[in-house]
Amino acid sequence: MIEGFEGLRTGIHVCRGNWSRREDVLLTGDYEPLVPAFAAMNVRQLVLEYATPRAGDIAVIGRALADRELGLGVVNPRTAEAESVDFIVDKAEQALRWFTPERLVLNTDCGFGCFANRCVNDEHTAVAKLKSMVAASRMLRERYG
Amino acid sequence: MFDVTQVGSWPRSRPLLRALRDHRTGRMSREAFDAVADGEVRRCVQHQLDAGVDIIVDGEQRRDNFYSFITDKLDGTRLMSLAEMLDVLEDKSGFEEMLDTLDVPASAIRNPTCVGKVTRREPLVADDLRFVQQLTDKPVKVTLPGPYLLTRSMWVTAYSKAGYSDKTEMAEDVVAILRDELAELEALGAAFVQFDEPVLTEIVFSEDNDRRTFM
Repeated sequence: MIEGFEGLRTGIHVCRGNWSRREDVLLTGDYEPLVPAFAAMNVRQLVLEYATPRAGDIAVIGRALADRELGLGVVNPRTAEAESVDFIVDKAEQALRWFTPERLVLNTDCGFGCFANRCVNDEHTAVAKLKSMVAASRMLRERYG
Repeated sequence: MFDVTQVGSWPRSRPLLRALRDHRTGRMSREAFDAVADGEVRRCVQHQLDAGVDIIVDGEQRRDNFYSFITDKLDGTRLMSLAEMLDVLEDKSGFEEMLDTLDVPASAIRNPTCVGKVTRREPLVADDLRFVQQLTDKPVKVTLPGPYLLTRSMWVTAYSKAGYSDKTEMAEDVVAILRDELAELEALGAAFVQFDEPVLTEIVFSEDNDRRTFM
């Protein structure tokens, strides 16, 4: 798919569904079954959800694919409260056990409105979540920069 | 290091939802729709700049959903609600049951169904990238539905046979179209291109991975 575009920074995003705010209907399981598929893909970054416990342990990807960049999902786009800076910093520090700071990107778990008629959040909350991520990034850059 | 960005889509405002609907049903011209959507993208980008986000997205404001929007850009495709598709599916009852169990509204989610030979009438996202690049000097990320998601969702045998003998043959055109897009995005200096492939988890985590996907 991306052969010949090595100069372009590409990534793949995989999640467990983002059509409902009901966590019980979204899929559950860690990334273990997908590791061979990811390893065979020539993408530079894996953009993965990790703000929800349904996504399993970061070690699953960390052990096998630390040569990639990780777009680390640190906020759940479906909840009404913004995650705390501590929660986000803690997630990033878990990922730092496998990934270098240069390879870590702070991301949302998925979009805030993948389906126009079924957006999973409002703009006000989405902004609050972005601001938490930026504050966490500043703290992490101070610690590890 | 620790750059902040988001996966891609942003909530839609009421005026935008109205414009999406009116444009879809032919009651609003492309120009009028773009005028509304341009304003929404501007506001979405401004929110990101104000918050201090490092890599900017357009919030997929112009899209019906993250993959169905391709019907606006590709010939040989037609936007269909899942409810409209039900009648022609091989496993209608199984699919209906899945939508029910998973709390998926069949009328609100639309699919880019292949109804003939698929060709690129206009770029999928290159114009959107250009627009955001005019609004900021920060790096801009674009999102594209991945080749696997597209192939799996676009193929509806009853319709797609009009263009291809099978899914694999259609997939070759899907990949070629995405590669044309990549060449354009590279030339425009896209900071990051993300392929969305949520269906991969459906395959490994759901009980029946041969059934149709909807996401």
